Amino acid sequence: MEVLAQIFNTELLVATIRLSTPITLAAVGATICERSGVVNIAMEGMMIVGAFTGLIGAMFTGDPWLGLLFAVLAGGVFSLLHAFATVSLHLEHVVSGAVLNILAFGIVRYMMVMIFGHPGTTDPIRFSLKNYQWAIPGLSKIPVLGPIFFNQTPIIYFSFLLIIFFTFFLKKTKLGLHIKAAGEHPLALETIGVSVYKMRYTGVFISGMMAGLAGAYLSIENAVSFTEGMSSGRGFIAMAAMISGGWTPIGAFIASLFFGFADALQVRLQVALELSIPEELFIILPYVLTVVAVAGLVRKSRAPKADGVDFMIERPE
Amino acid sequence: MQNNSLSKILIILMILTGIAGIVLWSASYFIGIIFIAAALVLYYFYKRSAEGGESAGAWAKGFIKTLYIPVFGIIAAIILGGIIMIITGNDPVVAYKALFYGGFVRSWHISILNAVPLIFTGLSVAFAFQAGLFNIGAEGQFYIGSMMATWLGLRLGMPPVFSIFIIFIVSGLAAAAYNIVPAALKVKTGAHEVITTMMLAHVARHLSPIFIRGNGGDPASSTHAYVTDDILENNFLPIFKDFLPNANYRLHVGILIAIAVAVLVYYILYYTRIGFEVRAVGQNPNAARAQGISIGKNIMIALLFAGFLSGLAGVNQVVGLDHKMFQNLSAGYGWNGISVAILASNNPIGVIFTSILWGALDAGGQYMTRTTQIPNSIVEIIKGIILFLIVARYIYTYFGNRMKKRRIDRKIKEAV
Repeated sequence: MEVLAQIFNTELLVATIRLSTPITLAAVGATICERSGVVNIAMEGMMIVGAFTGLIGAMFTGDPWLGLLFAVLAGGVFSLLHAFATVSLHLEHVVSGAVLNILAFGIVRYMMVMIFGHPGTTDPIRFSLKNYQWAIPGLSKIPVLGPIFFNQTPIIYFSFLLIIFFTFFLKKTKLGLHIKAAGEHPLALETIGVSVYKMRYTGVFISGMMAGLAGAYLSIENAVSFTEGMSSGRGFIAMAAMISGGWTPIGAFIASLFFGFADALQVRLQVALELSIPEELFIILPYVLTVVAVAGLVRKSRAPKADGVDFMIERPE
Repeated sequence: MQNNSLSKILIILMILTGIAGIVLWSASYFIGIIFIAAALVLYYFYKRSAEGGESAGAWAKGFIKTLYIPVFGIIAAIILGGIIMIITGNDPVVAYKALFYGGFVRSWHISILNAVPLIFTGLSVAFAFQAGLFNIGAEGQFYIGSMMATWLGLRLGMPPVFSIFIIFIVSGLAAAAYNIVPAALKVKTGAHEVITTMMLAHVARHLSPIFIRGNGGDPASSTHAYVTDDILENNFLPIFKDFLPNANYRLHVGILIAIAVAVLVYYILYYTRIGFEVRAVGQNPNAARAQGISIGKNIMIALLFAGFLSGLAGVNQVVGLDHKMFQNLSAGYGWNGISVAILASNNPIGVIFTSILWGALDAGGQYMTRTTQIPNSIVEIIKGIILFLIVARYIYTYFGNRMKKRRIDRKIKEAV
């Protein structure tokens, strides 16, 4: 019983939110991207670029908020390469994504060696976004829910707001509806005079910015330095969350919470049951659960009809 | 009749010179290049005697045309990489001199050693791609293969030929079995293989320390923590030095196995029923189904065979090069296998060349860092740019069309 109490407590739920945030952000971004009809397996690479740029920005300006801005912009700019390759150059989406992952890894490693003189881990920053942890007065006093939702760091609050925003965006705004149409029936959208290319570029750009934000969370909020491989497959877990969540922001959030919970539980189990079982068996838990979740839920969710389908049109200009 | 027997003699001669050339060249005897060139000339004569027609000029022209985009992409990447180096304060001329001297002359044996596992993983990714599947988790299958190979290598005491053969086959099958889960999920539920194989790659990578600790790599008792014991000596792959005294002592015959497997995969893909069905499913599943080709069966075949090939990469590293297993046995061979497959447009024979290019870039990059202190991660950027420019073939038409349009617009304006 003592062990159980040590594992299952409010701390576990707080850790769940913390560990699921990068997955949530990337998953919501990927949802928008796939809703516009572009498959984006380069989320991982965009996250790395965002995390690294965010750290560099925070380090050289001394202000983590500017680092955050840099991360979001870097993720967005890098994602435009994916948009250019898939939309304008009609490249197969998966291939372009794989190539961009490799390119992101190369760029970051080169920059790291140029700036810090070695690959691996960068120097730490002195002031991270964690210093801006803010307990919302009143709400944070609610038992259990208070510490989980209302006593967190900035990007976690952003992620809550962005989930609400993007749900509204997809359902109610004109741009959101056009993006959805580009992923469902691009030709129909083109017929009513809206450029499918532009919508898809927008979708990819949003996903890039969200991935950059997720990266910033990893490097300048959850940690104070950037380590190569710190994203450890989260870009792909985010895709799994997107699929399990049925290509909606809310669904993606719930699925991400599940994966974050698996990760938080894994760490706690390691500590609680130390030595009796090899730690690696716990580390693999989130990955195994991801496979299970995707396999179990993929049938129930429906992908956008033109997801990953190339669209080519000649316009008389 | 006369013609027929002549062409037979020519093809046998060509294969013999080709093999001799490959053996010599990969053992860093540069005279091998002459043999390979001779084999190409023989191939030309064979083609002419078998089919007639086609002058040497036309043949060469066709050959050069297929190289047009790759060569252009590589040159453009070299230029772009040079610009990046200038911006970041390195001298590109010095860097490239060291890179190419290191990769293709000085450290040629390292290039070959790097290329061998890449050929296997590249073939794996390419084969799955032919069926329209993306085996992004080749890294995981690599680890399964190498673990199985180490386990067997520590125990099998049979004559070398048998035990090495058994190790290759059994470890390959183990890696193939590891891909049953993604394949079955893909067939039964439609779960995307990008996610499932990727997740299983992380699982395999994290499981390897358990295996290593269980086979001699005990951090408490061993002086080399996290490294297994050496496998038995009868399970070592032969090295070139045994019969070619000038070859490097680490250079093993894995490259010949890899090339043979590549040819075999090419044969399977383009000359057998299985290969035909796999490619049919990859190109147009609906048409394939209409022809009575089972999609599920071919997805299974493609993913399992891809797992088998990736596993061989791990086996090759264990029995050929390192003779033991440790945590970072794979220097990203699984991930780089994706690059070489994409670069070769999933052609098994092309994979051999792109793997050697990739291996040479890595080896040259290390030589460059040793001699000039320019970080070898510039190689990663150059690789990325090469990939992007070659994959995005349409980029040339895209900008070509834009320029043409602008010219026409200008002309219209002038006329008005």
